[in-house]
Amino acid sequence: MAEEIDFDAILSKYRADPFDYAEIYAAHTGVVTFKVEEGSSVNCTSGEWQHIPGSPLFEITRERNTKLITAKTNGTISSIRTELEGQFVEAGEKLLTIRHPLKKKEVIENILKEVLYLFPAPERAKYFFSLDIQSRIEKRGSKALTIQPGDEIIIMSLMKRDTPIYYTGEAGVIHSVYFTPGVSMDQGQALIGICASEKLPLIQKVITRVKADWDKLIDPVHAEE
Amino acid sequence: MTANNSLHPASLQEYLWTRELSERKKSLRLPPPETILRYGAFVGSAIQCHSSLERTMEHARRHITDAESQGTSVISGTVILADTLIHSKGRFARSWHAPPGGLWGSMILADTFLTRARTLLPLALGIACCEAVRGLGVHEAHVRWVNDVLVRGQKLAGFLVESFRGPRYGEAFHLLGFGINVNNNSFPAELTDNAISLSRILDGPVSLPDFTLSFLAKLAWNIGLLCHEEERELHRWEGAEDQENQTAHLLLDQWKKLSDTIGKKVLYGYDIQQKPLYEAVVTGINSDGAIVMRLNDGTEIIEHSGELQYLKA
Repeated sequence: MAEEIDFDAILSKYRADPFDYAEIYAAHTGVVTFKVEEGSSVNCTSGEWQHIPGSPLFEITRERNTKLITAKTNGTISSIRTELEGQFVEAGEKLLTIRHPLKKKEVIENILKEVLYLFPAPERAKYFFSLDIQSRIEKRGSKALTIQPGDEIIIMSLMKRDTPIYYTGEAGVIHSVYFTPGVSMDQGQALIGICASEKLPLIQKVITRVKADWDKLIDPVHAEE
Repeated sequence: MTANNSLHPASLQEYLWTRELSERKKSLRLPPPETILRYGAFVGSAIQCHSSLERTMEHARRHITDAESQGTSVISGTVILADTLIHSKGRFARSWHAPPGGLWGSMILADTFLTRARTLLPLALGIACCEAVRGLGVHEAHVRWVNDVLVRGQKLAGFLVESFRGPRYGEAFHLLGFGINVNNNSFPAELTDNAISLSRILDGPVSLPDFTLSFLAKLAWNIGLLCHEEERELHRWEGAEDQENQTAHLLLDQWKKLSDTIGKKVLYGYDIQQKPLYEAVVTGINSDGAIVMRLNDGTEIIEHSGELQYLKA
């Protein structure tokens, strides 16, 4: 975790370019057919249960099996490899980029992700806090809870197979929780963000500073909450 | 104190290679049933029978820990049975009533599976139980996704799978917990309307050791299917099996035959008792065991985890 933060540098970075860039790659080999073009607007997955797929991006066909890939983030297509239209691609080939306008909360989360220790999801599954941790959070709040390496903190649930997940990072408090019980998380996505308790004031400073500078940071078009 | 439900690994092996094999030969020619049974025959390689335990899952964890601390390995397929459990619990710390007469236990399985087989493992428990129950003539037994076994809408059996890593060597295990209402006929008030036992269905007691043999033999078969399908998957990766020869997954096929979930109107929730989420109609099951449902607005939703409750159509 960073000891010091150069707020001016970070904020000027977001001021100059208040966007995230989601690069989309071919998940497996196949022939690609694009469904968007440069400049197209795309919507992310939506619905109360996150069940309505996002905008179609491309189809990829492997052995007569066609899979439609949809957007997981909203924004506009900032670049697309049109030369690959109808071509066979290898897994991992970059196909397009979605430029996503950042909201205040996302800017704060992005900065915090640079200073927190992020504990990733080991598999695509649903996650919930272990019973002990959950009851301690309910009583005292997550920021009053210090976890240590080796603590059983989270249960990973997949097809009624429950796997206890033991914490492996540095000791600290659970500052950010990125999962919602009952909602699937992809492998590698951050589940929780941890910081050493003495670093909490620094974290608070990040949040306060971004909130204070938000209007100066983002042009009015993107100045959503 | 001697356990009433007492079973020896040799009895299970004999049952497996005589009765189970001959039953399976009636319905499956290829792959040869012997091949499937060889894969699953490690089930019940060691069997512990206790008159009473706090919880068999906890006992299994302790057994692994003790073995590692003594520098030995745990036998994969070790089954732990108990006539009664004192502090049994289901998922989400739900209480589980485990008096004498039921089949209560756990099995320790070393985690040697690839991702897909690991994901489908919980299905094997429900299938094995449903097959054993139907073997007694209870043909209205069905599996409800993921692996509950219901008869006439009432729960006959429940299963849970938990993973555990040995504290010394870090070896990963799956602990397969099973609770089947066999001859236990009284249930706590809150379960009376939703639970049922085999003896109540059949209007008479069932031989618990015989049923245990049958259930474990069928569990061995279904885990064998899982291992066999895993081998086929590896062959496919290596290109040894061409696409035309691919057939459906044998374990998933069997689940579809025994389940009445597809087509049902359901209430879905991650923890359905505490927080039911939405109603939907089940339209299918994916190759990775995920349930496919259609919501009222016509959109499709796929869930890899959670619980269902059947609703009246």
